[in-house]
Amino acid sequence: MSSDSKCVFVTVGSTKFDALVAAVLSNDVFESLKKTGFDRLVIQCGNSKVPLSPRIWNDEILLDTPINGISTSIWRFKKSLKDNYAAADLVIGHAGSGTIIEVLRMGRKLIAVPNETLLHNHQAELAEALDTSGYLIASPVSDLAEAIQQAMSKDFERFPEYDGSKFSRILDEEMGFI
Amino acid sequence: MTTALVYSALVFALFVLRAIYVIIFPPRKRFSSGQTCRLAIFLGSGGHTSEMLQMLQGLNFERYEPRLYLVSQGDILSAEKAAEFESKSSFPPAFTIVTIPRARKVLQPLWTTPWTTLISLVSCLQEVSFGLVVRGKPFADLLLLNGPGTCVPLFIAVFINRFLGLPSPRVVYVESFTRVKKLSLSAHLLRPFVDCFVVQWPGLHRGGRRDRYSDWLI
Repeated sequence: MSSDSKCVFVTVGSTKFDALVAAVLSNDVFESLKKTGFDRLVIQCGNSKVPLSPRIWNDEILLDTPINGISTSIWRFKKSLKDNYAAADLVIGHAGSGTIIEVLRMGRKLIAVPNETLLHNHQAELAEALDTSGYLIASPVSDLAEAIQQAMSKDFERFPEYDGSKFSRILDEEMGFI
Repeated sequence: MTTALVYSALVFALFVLRAIYVIIFPPRKRFSSGQTCRLAIFLGSGGHTSEMLQMLQGLNFERYEPRLYLVSQGDILSAEKAAEFESKSSFPPAFTIVTIPRARKVLQPLWTTPWTTLISLVSCLQEVSFGLVVRGKPFADLLLLNGPGTCVPLFIAVFINRFLGLPSPRVVYVESFTRVKKLSLSAHLLRPFVDCFVVQWPGLHRGGRRDRYSDWLI
């Protein structure tokens, strides 16, 4: 990949998120991506419906072709998404805490989109709280195009590194070691 | 007839008093450096397991050993993750993994929950209480919980031990990093009874004697 190429990576996690995949492939979002200089879009779609008539390459890769000037690949699952996060200038993901923590610790810009059809709506609470603290942007599916503009001009707060001494201290105090 | 009533009322009152006593004054064993603390860890699957293993990374495993991982029946992934976690640790592996039946399966109708919780409780008692008789050594000195459901029967088993005056572990419950404004159901249920109740968002901190607010632990 050339150094001036700009990539956005979209992940739905281990299940599916039809509305997110549909929104990412909408004209609004494509316009927004082009305006902010993106020329590559990679979507991990899980078991979501893909609203194009995808040309099936094999079981894994659903599509790998330019759409409106943005080179687009869509595939279902991969064991680790670390390489994709690393290669991305922006990550758009479901609001699962595992994804949030991993992406933010890698220092990537993140738009977290809570899945409103899930019962676990405390995920939306988490995304909003982290948005308030400036670590990421929480956005509903419907405002994604706008959120992409915001994300590219915003200075995010750096998410704190893991500090194992905090839990260790709690237990040591609790048991009388210290 | 009346004497029987009086006696049963008396016995009942004693039960309640004993329960209140062990809630207010849980037995406490204090450790000093050089001693080892036997650790039991409940892995609640998915995000619960990931958060728990992440928190454990910071512990001095020479101090907290041996370790006993409790996983719900069928949760092979958590068992695998625990084994992988131990094998990557810089401390010598000293651990066991046991499975307990779930209190409530995903999507299980609510009205059948008491029955499955009972089955789960019997299995927890086997680990926590009967194990004492069979193996001749207590279950653990410290039990870590972070939800979901199955950690409730596990705590009840610990409580029964306390009630009977048998050795019981100290219990620390850590509410998930993902809970910002509202506690989970198991946290709600266990908060008044556990020895240390940790939350990771200030909005959840109520400032009780055993409540503790911490910066993010993950």
